[in-house]
Amino acid sequence: MAVDRDRLHRTLTPRTVAVVGAKGPDFGWIENQREFQGPLYSVQLDPNEIVEIEKRGFTNYLKLEDVPEDIDLVICAVPRNIAPSILSDAIKKGVAGIAMFTAGFAETGEEDGIRLQEAIVEMANADGMPVVGPNCMGVYNRRRGVKFHSDVDQGDSGNVSIVGQSGTHTINMTTAAQRAGIDVGRGISIGNAVVINEADYLEYLRDDPDTEVIGMYLEGLKDGRRFFEALRETTRIKPVVIWKGGQTTAGQRATRSHTASLATSSATWDALIKQTGAIPANNGDEVIDVIQALVHSAPPQGRRLALMAMTGGQSVAISDAFGRVGLEVPELADGSYEQLGEFFNVIGGSYRNPFDMANTIGRAGDSDNLRRIMDILAEDPNIDGMVYEFTANFFARFWKEEPGLFDEMMGTLDDFRTRTGLPLVTVMHPGHKDEDVIPLRDDVISRGFAVYQSFDRAALALSRVVAYREWLAAL
Amino acid sequence: MSDPIAAARADGRTLLTEVESKQLLHDAGITVTQARLATSADEAVAAAEEFGYPAVLKVVSGDIAHKSDVGGVELGLGDGDAVRAAYDRIMAAVKAAEPDAHVGGVSVQQMADPGVEVIIGMTTDPQFGPVLAFGLGGIMVEVLKDVAFRIVPLEPRDAGQIVREIKGYPVLEGVRGQPGADIDALESMILEVSAFAEAHPEIAELDLNPVFARPDGAIAVDARVVLAEA
Repeated sequence: MAVDRDRLHRTLTPRTVAVVGAKGPDFGWIENQREFQGPLYSVQLDPNEIVEIEKRGFTNYLKLEDVPEDIDLVICAVPRNIAPSILSDAIKKGVAGIAMFTAGFAETGEEDGIRLQEAIVEMANADGMPVVGPNCMGVYNRRRGVKFHSDVDQGDSGNVSIVGQSGTHTINMTTAAQRAGIDVGRGISIGNAVVINEADYLEYLRDDPDTEVIGMYLEGLKDGRRFFEALRETTRIKPVVIWKGGQTTAGQRATRSHTASLATSSATWDALIKQTGAIPANNGDEVIDVIQALVHSAPPQGRRLALMAMTGGQSVAISDAFGRVGLEVPELADGSYEQLGEFFNVIGGSYRNPFDMANTIGRAGDSDNLRRIMDILAEDPNIDGMVYEFTANFFARFWKEEPGLFDEMMGTLDDFRTRTGLPLVTVMHPGHKDEDVIPLRDDVISRGFAVYQSFDRAALALSRVVAYREWLAAL
Repeated sequence: MSDPIAAARADGRTLLTEVESKQLLHDAGITVTQARLATSADEAVAAAEEFGYPAVLKVVSGDIAHKSDVGGVELGLGDGDAVRAAYDRIMAAVKAAEPDAHVGGVSVQQMADPGVEVIIGMTTDPQFGPVLAFGLGGIMVEVLKDVAFRIVPLEPRDAGQIVREIKGYPVLEGVRGQPGADIDALESMILEVSAFAEAHPEIAELDLNPVFARPDGAIAVDARVVLAEA
């Protein structure tokens, strides 16, 4: 079906919402929309449920057609046997689009489910009705306050969009990304994607001026050819991070050529990634790690990094982690070494890169030495970026007692990235009491830094972003 | 035999013969050793005279999967007498090994100078449609599966990457004093095959195997086209 882009936009960015089938005990589908920025209605027939819905302050109607204004989004949470009649009502009402939470369709493999799904697809396509799902958690729009989970943020910004074939992964990636300081503005749980598919959503987000980064969780593709073409166009404009779950078995069939017998689904998926410049991820954490680097650090212009650790053991580990993913830990310029040699304490420390700094900078706010090191590195032509490790296992307690030290250190890091325009990401291992470390991490996040819980995760994320920049540069 | 695809369809076949496959590729501007069907020793000699020596004869039969296993391939034939004798040997050997096989004749072609054997192929992926494969050819493709894929259509940078992606790439660059292959020519052929696949949605699978990757160019010496079910 050719997608009606205007209707899809109204579905994903609604100004009026009706929730059909909200019910107790928690009335989650309508309660989640409590902060929706516009008229919100309930549609429910059951008198017992209506009493509670109205007690909660929502306006209820018995039928969609009774709602006294145009509806952009219907959130449909009725049992599967009733879903076609709700769709039919929505079509009569002239609703822009539906997010269908209702499950029990083709994903069950049952004849009834398949038949019902076919009925829904046929009706939707005849009308041009964008159906999100079925079998999905629906739509999140941060600006509009339409939510697929009660704990996602609300506000007037959002430059990252998350799309997922699984409702759980879509919600988890959204909330975890927001905890990492990523401004997710849209989330779409696409479910069975039988009316609007992954290629449609990608094309929409490609053209969405609010979306600067896209994260996706996909299992199979409904329209691989169009997805390939849309992806190739989108990555030229904005990065797309894709976590592919599962292996499709559709490739199992008789073949008569060598080529066909060798083309497994993972081989062709690899081809898709390489050819389109999409950024691959192996799990949801990686999606968020990569997006952190994309939105919270300047775009890297090369692979050479200054690695700043507090201790010798860490400086070995950090070099290994970054070396493994093809990033470089170069020698600094001679001039930098001369200047560092004037004050850097090399007893139990090193400034060759990686840096082992604790004996020189103390608790990182005790003296001017961290700032002196950063000033020298800011002028060094041999580095394209920096990774800064906090060694919270040693320092978390000090910084908790003397927040001024931490503030001074963060100010120095902030000055470095502002002044140089170089990417700077940070690492804070959870090697201390959570109650001491987590507030520090949140502080780092609130200052707009990417912060990782291990060197390896930082290294992988940064390497993926570097590869994407290189891919763009070679276009 | 102006349209091999129409001819195959008319016969109810989806597998094109080597001669038909090569004609299609040749017509699309892809460098192949041209092959002609000969149904007699005289025709075989005439074709060899036209293409030039040394000649190669291969049995043409839809019933025989591995032509060389049944004595169906004769290489390095230096003149008309050699071609005539080889024709008779093939017919006798095939009859002995596969008495029930339908034999349409032999394909005649000039023997190409050898090079590194690579495969360029295409298959139809259930999710993405046509995808192109490149790898080391001959026995290597079966044993090592050192093959890389790209979705059709390829852009020039995809062709550059797919050639360098296989583990055997150093062999193409030239090792131990062996001359390297003409990588530009390989990349060009890959892009030509991509365009060919794009222009022929009715083709489901395609093997150019082997392609001889030589220092002075690339040439496909065997080819197989499989049509989608009509």
